[in-house]
Parts: sequence; C-alpha cells; structure tokens
Amino acid sequence: MSKALRHLALAWLGLVLLLVLTLGLSYLPLGSANIVVALTIAMAKGVIVVLIFMKLAHSPPLTWIFAGAGLFWLALLFGLSFTDYATRAGFPPQP
Amino acid sequence: MTAVSIHLPDNYLVEEQTIGSWIFTHDHKRVALLFFASITFFFFIGGFAATLIRVHLVTPQGDLLQPDIYNRMFTMHGIVMVWFFLIPSIPTTMGNFLVPLMIGAHDLAFPRLNIASWHVFNLSGFVLLYALFMGGIDTGWTFYTPFSTAYANGYVILAVVAVFINGFSTIMTALNFVVTIHRLRAPGMYWTRLPLFIWAIYATSAVMLLATPVLAMSLVLIALERLLGVGVFDPALGGDPLLFQHLFWFYSHPAVYIMILPAMGVVSELVTCFARKRIFGYTGMTYALLAIAVFGFLVWGHHMFTAGISLYSGIVFSLMSFLVAVPSAIKVFNWTATLHKGSIAFDAPMLYALGFIGLFTMGGLTGLVVATLGLDVHLTDTYFVIAHFHYIMVGGAVSAYFGGLHYWWPKITGRMYPEIWARGAAILMFLGFNLTFFPQFILGYLGMPRRYYAYAPEWQVWNVLSSAGASILAFAYLLPLFYLTWSLLRGSRAAPNPWQATGLEWQAESPPPKDNFLRTPTVTAGPYEYDAATGVTIAQNGTVYG
Amino acid sequence: MPQQAEAATLGIWVFLATEVLFFSGMLLAYAVLRKAYPAGFAEASRETKIVIGTINTAVLLTSSATMAWAVHAAEAGHRRLLAWLLAATAALGLVFLALKGVEYSQEYDEHLVPGLNFSSASPHEHAIELFYFLYFGLTGIHALHLTIGIVVVAVVAVRAWRAAFAPAYYTPVEITGLYWHFVDLVWIFLYPLIYLNGRSGG
Repeated sequence: MSKALRHLALAWLGLVLLLVLTLGLSYLPLGSANIVVALTIAMAKGVIVVLIFMKLAHSPPLTWIFAGAGLFWLALLFGLSFTDYATRAGFPPQP
Repeated sequence: MTAVSIHLPDNYLVEEQTIGSWIFTHDHKRVALLFFASITFFFFIGGFAATLIRVHLVTPQGDLLQPDIYNRMFTMHGIVMVWFFLIPSIPTTMGNFLVPLMIGAHDLAFPRLNIASWHVFNLSGFVLLYALFMGGIDTGWTFYTPFSTAYANGYVILAVVAVFINGFSTIMTALNFVVTIHRLRAPGMYWTRLPLFIWAIYATSAVMLLATPVLAMSLVLIALERLLGVGVFDPALGGDPLLFQHLFWFYSHPAVYIMILPAMGVVSELVTCFARKRIFGYTGMTYALLAIAVFGFLVWGHHMFTAGISLYSGIVFSLMSFLVAVPSAIKVFNWTATLHKGSIAFDAPMLYALGFIGLFTMGGLTGLVVATLGLDVHLTDTYFVIAHFHYIMVGGAVSAYFGGLHYWWPKITGRMYPEIWARGAAILMFLGFNLTFFPQFILGYLGMPRRYYAYAPEWQVWNVLSSAGASILAFAYLLPLFYLTWSLLRGSRAAPNPWQATGLEWQAESPPPKDNFLRTPTVTAGPYEYDAATGVTIAQNGTVYG
Repeated sequence: MPQQAEAATLGIWVFLATEVLFFSGMLLAYAVLRKAYPAGFAEASRETKIVIGTINTAVLLTSSATMAWAVHAAEAGHRRLLAWLLAATAALGLVFLALKGVEYSQEYDEHLVPGLNFSSASPHEHAIELFYFLYFGLTGIHALHLTIGIVVVAVVAVRAWRAAFAPAYYTPVEITGLYWHFVDLVWIFLYPLIYLNGRSGG
C-alpha cells in the first residue's frame, strides 16, 4: 500500500476510534466537562478530516486562511452574541 | 457632434447579437450590462415606493395611503433598495465590467458562474415581485420577530424566500471576484499595485461571503417558525425574539459596508484622476478598506441598544461602533489630502465624488451620534436614524454609483455623455438630496418616529421640505436616464482613454473587444502615477501621457 | 489546465467557508438555548436514537474515507477503482439517509416533531420542543446538503466510468471530495451536540 493510502487508512481508523471514545466518555458523569470533552474529540476528528482527507496539510497558506476564516467568523458570531446572552438578566425568562 | 451611424471596431457589444448570446453570455462585460438593466428596473420600483411615502407624508394625518398600505410601502422600499439595488449596484455592474480589465485578465475566473448569478438574481426578483403583487408584507425590511413569525398578514415566507435566493446571487458574484483577484492578475500586477477599486471589491466580496450565509439561516428560521407555528424565537416556548435580531444584524450591519466599500473604491479612482494626483496614503487606504470590512462585523448590536440586550453588551457594541469610524475617517482625510494642491477638474464624475465626500462625512458623523448609548435611547427608531443611513447610502453610495457610471460610461459604451447635462444632474441631485434628508435629522431630533403613517402637526413644515426635496431628487435621477440614453444614439465617439487615466481598463479600446486585451498586458507602474507638478501621467502598462 | 484546477479548488474552499457560516446561525440558536435550558436539552438528547446516530456517524466517516481514496485513485489514473469508490461513497450516503428516515419516522411515532405532533409529559416540555426544532432543522439541512452531495458524487461516478478523468484532469473529483468531506465534518460536530448530551445523567 502506498504511503498516501496508508495515511488514509490510519486516518479512518483514528476517526472510528475517536468515535468509540467520545461515545464511551459521554456515559461518564463528568458534569460540565462532558461537553468540553465531546467537542474536543469532535475537533480532533475534524482536524483529521481537514488535514488528511481534505489535504489541507499539503495546501498553500491561502487555503489555510480561507479554511480558518469561516471558523474565526463563527467564533465572532458566538463571542459577541454571548456578550448579551451571558449577561442579560431577563434571559432565560423565569416563569 | 458626429453622425449617428459610427462604425465601432469589433467590440463586445456587436460580437454576436442574438438574445441567446446575451442571456447565456460568458462575457463579464455583457453580464455587467444585464445586471445594470435588472438593478435599474428595481431602483425605479424602490423609488416608486419612496415617492408614495414622501407624497403621503406631506400631510400629518396621512391622506394618501391607508396605514396598512403605508406599512407595505416602506417595507417594499427597504427590501427592494437594499437587496435589489444597493447591494448589487456597484459590484455587479462596475465590478463585473472592470475587475478583469483592471487586473489585465480576459474574464473572471468562473464565467458561467457569473451569468448564473444574474439568472439567480432575476429569479429572486421574480419571487419578490410576485409577493409584492399578491399584496406584499408590512414587517419592515428587517422582518422582526415575533411580528413576522406570528402576527403579520401577508406573504412573509415568499418574501424571505426571495431574499434567500438573492443571497445566493451575492455569494456567487463574491466568490468569483475573490478567486479572480487572487489568481488572474496580469504579470507585474502585485497586490501593492492594485487599484483601490479592486481592493474595495475584494473587501466587499469577503464581507458578502462571510455575512450572507448568516442572513440565509435567519430567514430559514423565520420561514420555519411561521410555517410550523413553533420556533426558537417564540417567547411562549422560552425562545428569544432577540436571537433573530442578533442573527439578522450580524449580516445586515456588514451589509451596509457591502454597500459603501465599493463606493469608496469608486471615489478613490475618481479623486485621483480628476485631481491629477496620486492618492495620498495608498497603503493606509488599503488597510482602511480591510479594517472596515473586519470591524464592520463587530458592531451589529448597535441596532439593538433599546431592544433588550444587556447594558454590558451595549457598551461593547458601542465601543466597537466608535472604532469602526476610524478607518472611514482615515479615508476621508486621505481623499482630502489627495485633493490638496491637486489640479482639479470639475467634470461630472468629480462632482459626484466631491458630493460623496461631504455627504458620507455627514452620514458618518451622525453615525457616531447614534452609536452613543445615551443619545440612541432618544434617537433610535426616529427620523434621525433614517437621515443618517440615507446620507451614507444615498448621499454616499448612490452618488458614487452615478460618479462611476459617468466615469466609465465611455469605456462601457464607446460614447461620451453630454457633460453639461451631467454636471447639472449632479448638482441637482446634491441639492435635492440635502433638501430631502437634512430636515429628517431635525425631525428625528424633535422625536418623529419612523415607520409611522401619521405624525404630529407641528412637524409638518419639515416633512413638506423633505418631500419637496424628494421631487427634485427624483427629477435628478430621471435626467441621466434621458441623456445617457441619448448619448448611446448621438453621443460623440469616445477615445480609449478620454480621461488620460492610469488604470489598465483605459488601455483597452472603448468599448473593449470580447477578450479585453489582444495580449495579456504587463504591469510596470503603480496604480496612480499622476504627477500634478509636471502633468505627466504613466498608465499601469507603462504608456506615458503628457 | 493547472490554473483552472487551482482556481476551482480555491473556489470550493471559499464556498465551504460560507457553508460554515450558514450552519453557524442555527448552532448559535442551539448554544443559546442549551445554555438557557440545560436540563431540558439534556433530557431531550437522552431521547435521541443513539444507536442509529452512532452507526450513521461511522457510515459517514467511512464514506469520507472512500471519497478520499477515490481522489487518490483519480490522481493515479485508476479509472475503474475511481468509479467504484465514488459509487461506494454515494451508496454509503444513501445508507445514511435511509437510517435517518427510519430515525425520523420513529420520532414521529413518539410525538417529537414540532409543528406536526409534538407533545411531551415532561416538566421541560418547552425546552424539549425547542431542542427538537433545532434537531430537525440541523439534521434536515444537513440531510439536504448530503442529498445534493450524493447526486453530485453519482454524476461524477458515471463520468469517471466513461473515462472523463485522467491524472492530468480530475478537478471535479477533487472539488466534489472537498464538498463531501465538509458534509461529514458538519455531522462530526452535530453528533455530540444532538446525541451525547445528558447521557451520563437522568
């Protein structure tokens, strides 16, 4: 098997293992850490898909910028919205 | 004046003359003209709504329109002007026509995507017109919930579908520009030699790409909530109506930068050419464009100061709104510095550019007024805000649009427009505009609310002044329709470079041949090599004038 | 032409950035409401079909692998392998949709579809309804994107079978692959947000 194909196979294996891991960990009572763990594992899976399957690792820097821009702007949307949602007294509405 | 039948050398207009060769064209120049036709059509529809509004507001009790119809009028005016005129205006006409020419390319990166974008635009326009003819909607162009999702009568879902489809057209155009500017620049056209119009189109395209999808989702959520009767904006379920406003304004504030950035690009081109002087602070101007594009995403909450967001959030957004004014101010300073000791010609394009600088500055300064939390409590949802944004969008962006239209008219059509008429229209537009909108600052300060079909009688004089101004403005908009059309038939033949400007677009014939350049040009000079002292001008491909 | 391949690849990455922002809107709604109603969202998640969800995740991950392998095959000029791998990718996509259909019909039977037949006896009834609004919204829009992907992959597979591609030109395979991986990527994040919340409690 060529090197590239081996990387693909390992990537797939890594994704499946991370899937099993995230599933298993979700049943452990970690409190507010559960979501952090789950999203961290999702990000790890995402990194594998983006770098290896989507070949970002071998792409020019401009592609990295475009790939990052979407995520960065998502962060802006969330971050600035939460200046309101984290501090608004009337939300959530209390019955 | 020369005779009617002039033989223009083979150019993109006469290449092929079937309808199919136009509506399925791959030529960016033809796509630009197709868009020009579409947006002009919608400009007059939006203008018609504005006319009815201003006539109606001549009397305080509102005699012309029923309240419900009045609401539908300002809604239609907003939707049409924002999405079907202002946002596409400069990018789809001048952007499409000029981007390849200015960078020395034969066409955009994706010509078929380009014509597809026009068809998608028309589809969205058709859906909107259908919604309007069926009775329209009365939610305001901002579709606020819960009114739009639960209480509004009318074709809300159809209207948001129209805007959703329109968004695809925007994204397709923006994607094309971004890839084109990255990949198709001629040899020697470094990023630091790009005309500011190209930088402006690039910045605009980035904003279009990052903002429009969020609008799309906010519209989907409205449609779903209206259709299903349940949704995330519904307070009865514990949802938040303000969430819609966050999502909507995350797009709609950057949208106003989508409207102004191309205009700023045009103004930079006009000011340098008609002052015969290199732009002051080119690097600062490019950074300012990019800064406006980025910072424009950080301020959206200033539309929600009194809507119920937390005070802390209001403070953050107010601060950001002050910061975003800085790069805009830098641009105004740099245009002014460019004019200083320039050799100024007062041709029509320059009149429009000068009008832009003054009116945009007023609009921008009043933006700082409403960005101030305490003042906004008094001024929000009054005519002060209406005057503020019309100064920028109409006084600013529309002035620049007309300035660019006149400036590049000889390149696009091969004809010169009649200069005296054009200057007259520009001056009339400036006067009519100020008479229309300055009284609205006063009305807002006095407390007249926006979107009301009637008002207190003591405000009538200002409303009458405003409506009088609007009639002058309408006439000023109709004038170009006539004399520009006249110029197509009897205007004098334009040389390739009637302004002796430096851009690559002026090195092609007027009008250009289908492939723009016989051979890809090589760029050896910066974008604005105008020497005011010696009168020598060097075009970007090295050609010397004077 | 290499310049056109480069341009197309850049173009698809730009498009994918817009897609990230498209999903962001609904994800913000999810984040805001989950923060507001943590117990209700946790309870709602516990009622999701984790077996189907997990199998579907594995299906999509595998389809991404077959897609990436297909691009590799195109690069190497293996025409038949390319066509079969593309077909396998599309088939796995169809498996995902089929399982999703089963899942949706179960949720319908359990009265979990807002706007159609939603009812819940839980004290967190409203929050659960909000969750399921977002669930159907997010997975529905995802499924729409997946369907478009399946059609495109199928068309490219047919073209591949008819020898439209060679090592010198396989751009459609490449950009289809990038789109497909993106659809997988969205699901990778939807999976924990929808299925894994509250599994340790309740």
